[in-house]
Amino acid sequence: MAQIKGYEMPDDLYYHEEHSWARVDGTKVTVGMTDFFQKEAGDIVFVDLPDLEDEVSQGEVCGKIQSRKWIGNLVAPVSGEIVEINEELEDDTTLINKDPYGKGWILVIEASNLDEELDNLIYGKEKVEQFIESQIKKAEEERKKT
Amino acid sequence: MERWRLFKEKERLLSTAEGLSIDDTLSFSVSHLSSPPILHLYRFVPSAIVGRYQDIEAALRLDRCRERGVEYNRRSTGGGTVIMGPEVVALGLGINPDNPGLKGASMGKIFEIFAQVLSDALTAFGIEASFRPKNDLEVRGRKIAGLSAAAEDAKSILFHTSLIVDFDMELMQDIINTPLIKLSDKGYSCFSQRMTAVKWEAKSDVTIWDVMESIEESFKRYFNIKFKEENPTEEEVIKIQELIRERYTNKDWIFSKRHPRFRMGIGRVKTKGGLLEIYLSLSGASIQDIVITGDFFSTTKDINRLESTLKWTPAFKENIKKTIDSIWYKDMIYGIDPDILTEAILKAKESQVRL
Repeated sequence: MAQIKGYEMPDDLYYHEEHSWARVDGTKVTVGMTDFFQKEAGDIVFVDLPDLEDEVSQGEVCGKIQSRKWIGNLVAPVSGEIVEINEELEDDTTLINKDPYGKGWILVIEASNLDEELDNLIYGKEKVEQFIESQIKKAEEERKKT
Repeated sequence: MERWRLFKEKERLLSTAEGLSIDDTLSFSVSHLSSPPILHLYRFVPSAIVGRYQDIEAALRLDRCRERGVEYNRRSTGGGTVIMGPEVVALGLGINPDNPGLKGASMGKIFEIFAQVLSDALTAFGIEASFRPKNDLEVRGRKIAGLSAAAEDAKSILFHTSLIVDFDMELMQDIINTPLIKLSDKGYSCFSQRMTAVKWEAKSDVTIWDVMESIEESFKRYFNIKFKEENPTEEEVIKIQELIRERYTNKDWIFSKRHPRFRMGIGRVKTKGGLLEIYLSLSGASIQDIVITGDFFSTTKDINRLESTLKWTPAFKENIKKTIDSIWYKDMIYGIDPDILTEAILKAKESQVRL
């Protein structure tokens, strides 16, 4: 697994800039949140998931994730229908913290426009590295301004 | 110098639907209408407001709220129940997380920054307040303000605070349905030992107007900005009306079932330091509330600190132990160590019942 600046970012996944990841298997896309997100957010206490059979569009907020008193967004990396959700998260939301790319998966989308939409996601070691570095750099630059 | 907008309501008390709809519009405007940050300072009618993912029926005694004319509603940010009213400053802030004043801070750090702004505002009254993890502002170990937030999208966040200038403990005791407190029969001291108010801490007479003024000045100093006091634009008024209609007067929102299961339990352990009793409220797999009591020797400040830090911690052995270890020092509770405290909390979890 690729380690980028202390964050686990597997090479075989596609990433949305809002920190969701997508694992493509045919037209089925498993979705979760990145290691970068879970480390920033801290302990996840609740996940508000969409319903099965809901239609979502790429970039749409399709769920909410609460950590402490903060509520963040789960953004759909691709368009399609929600065909599966991880029911284990109901009993243990910290699976997202403990195993963000494994047991902490959140939902599965039956993608409707995969070929076109994958081009909009971040993919490949080099691009993922650039993305994570830009996120870190952004934070550092903001700190320098003050 | 950057100019922010200020919505300030001095005279009128806002209904929960109106106040919360304006607040949601703050982050909406920053994200979708290219507005600069907007600060909203106001007061609610007497009301109880639960967090986005709380079970309102478990959190409040709704029959008592109705009988006493206390409104209830659900906000869009996280956290627990707050009691609002004429003597509590309500603060909403819509801001871009990339704002230079936030220094590129992570989500947790953003809470500390806002806590700092509020704490600076209180120094004008001789009150020394400080941030207490995870999300409170405290004075001498007692909570004086609660902080919560939600992301509108990548470009905007909504930050909420309630700052207690004065409060009616009897009312709070009557309408908050805290099973821990009912069972422990220690309700009154439970609130009085854990909360405080500006009027109780200030070195001189303070009005709620003074506090609002001081918060405004503190924001100006911290972010090096000017405020322009104004009313919502026509476009914003439409959004506010839409939110009142579709969200904050809508029973599906107020009584939303989209929340974790609410349970509670009690754990008792005899220790060398005395009897240790834990009253635990669980929201899903996380600790929503905890009261640590018994006949051991410790300080109110330390117990409040432990309780506050344990809130929103996943109720699993390794998470609880790690959280306690992060603030523990020798003899924090005389004769008790982090392992024993963890064991008592897990015992309370094991005895949990659904409410």
